[in-house]
Amino acid sequence: MKSFIYNIKKYFNYSLYSAKATLKSEVAGSHLNWVWWILEPICFMLIYTFLVQIVFSAREPYFPVFVLIGLTIWDFFKRMANGSVKLISSNKNIVSKVYLPKYILLISKSLTYLFKFGVSALLIVIVMIIFKVPFTISLLFIIPLIILLYLISFGISSILMHFGVFVEDLSNVVNIVLRLLFYMSGIFYSIGSMVPTPYNEILLNLNPIAFTIDSFRLVVINGQLPNMEILIIWFVIGFILCLIGIKLINKYENSYAKVIS
Amino acid sequence: MNAVTVKKITISYRLLNKFSIKKNLLKKKKKSTKEEKFNAIKNVSFELEKGKILGVVGKNGSGKSTLLRAMAGIFSVDEGTIDLHGNTVSLLSIGVGFQKKLTGYENIFLSGLLLGFNKKQIEEKLDEIIDFSELGDFINKPVSTYSSGMYSKLAFAITAILETDIMLIDEVLSVGDISFKQKSYDKMKELINDDDRTVIIVSHNLSTLKELCDEILWIHEGSMKMIGDTKTVLAEYESFMKKGVAK
Repeated sequence: MKSFIYNIKKYFNYSLYSAKATLKSEVAGSHLNWVWWILEPICFMLIYTFLVQIVFSAREPYFPVFVLIGLTIWDFFKRMANGSVKLISSNKNIVSKVYLPKYILLISKSLTYLFKFGVSALLIVIVMIIFKVPFTISLLFIIPLIILLYLISFGISSILMHFGVFVEDLSNVVNIVLRLLFYMSGIFYSIGSMVPTPYNEILLNLNPIAFTIDSFRLVVINGQLPNMEILIIWFVIGFILCLIGIKLINKYENSYAKVIS
Repeated sequence: MNAVTVKKITISYRLLNKFSIKKNLLKKKKKSTKEEKFNAIKNVSFELEKGKILGVVGKNGSGKSTLLRAMAGIFSVDEGTIDLHGNTVSLLSIGVGFQKKLTGYENIFLSGLLLGFNKKQIEEKLDEIIDFSELGDFINKPVSTYSSGMYSKLAFAITAILETDIMLIDEVLSVGDISFKQKSYDKMKELINDDDRTVIIVSHNLSTLKELCDEILWIHEGSMKMIGDTKTVLAEYESFMKKGVAK
């Protein structure tokens, strides 16, 4: 753990710089440039709003805000999980040439995703203003929720990153599981009102992403507080996941270079 | 004072095919996927004093590069220890972590930070790097627009000017056109001959080794065959290799 903090300090500038570099080179070639970062969430918001409100004619208050929150959180988690599986082999030229604590690669990646998360979050604020969602003091609770999201995502991703080195087709499995999770997290519907009891409770409490999304909406749209007990339990679990991931990486990272080739 | 102490290290590659869920589901029973172990380095130990230059020779596939990578911390050793006595170390390699869509200027930082330097150290050396790379205004253009010569000049300048206490060199590098080749070779020599710098060079070029090294380590099929002063070991090595050819 000590070495973890030391390494974070030592390499933080690199992860920041490399994240910036990745973001820059992502948009360097395209015509619309950084506009994509805004356009993408807006388009998906419109698609789901159309789909759910018109095709399925379901009613949720402030639906664009509702769905945008779901998408923002989901996208962050999905990007982390998806990106981590092949992270080591896609950075082969770094991994095989220079020593770097491998979780730094993940942190750097997560910074680019956090940036996109931030852009999306700004959009939420704008859409909230447009649809006149009241701002309340309970909004402050999004901070622990974001930290929770990061902990859970980082924990799961670091474990995935480790096994992704050794298991060739892990990405296929992850894709399928992610798709399943997508429908079980209530991105574009409310688990609480659409899923019959007791399954909705189970889903909300056992799926950290569903819990985060639901709490986020509770805080932002309804101005209520999330369920503290479950929040704390997930915090602890997220922390443990991170610990496991970092331990795994610490122990085996020096054999990664031998396996990928 | 020793800068490097290597004690009885063994490094193995596991010759196992990567685990695949698909294959394991389809196969009813695993046909003894016993891990075949291949020892690239067997029981090698040596010591090197600060400021000395060690050459490593051996035929292809004898584990020389593996040894360097282990010393750089990229590979783990399976047995034994490598003690660098707190010195900073780098394996000289070109263009690590470059992002082609970014400018040369940005890539200097990217590569430098990756090699473990901090921003201040890089800023101090920045002018020297740009100057050495002979890129001029191109430094503010994306690396993807560079010719391959310009690319390797920049990459070389970064690695050569951001120096560490211990340098590990896999083949003495010389890149670019004739004049830059000479310049880069001279720079290498200057780096290598610095009295404070400990250097380990892997090379097949015996005349270079003769010129530069204080000691030679000869590795044969992963084991140490000989270590000692340059002349004796190289003479033995040369006659050994010639015998191999004669056969």
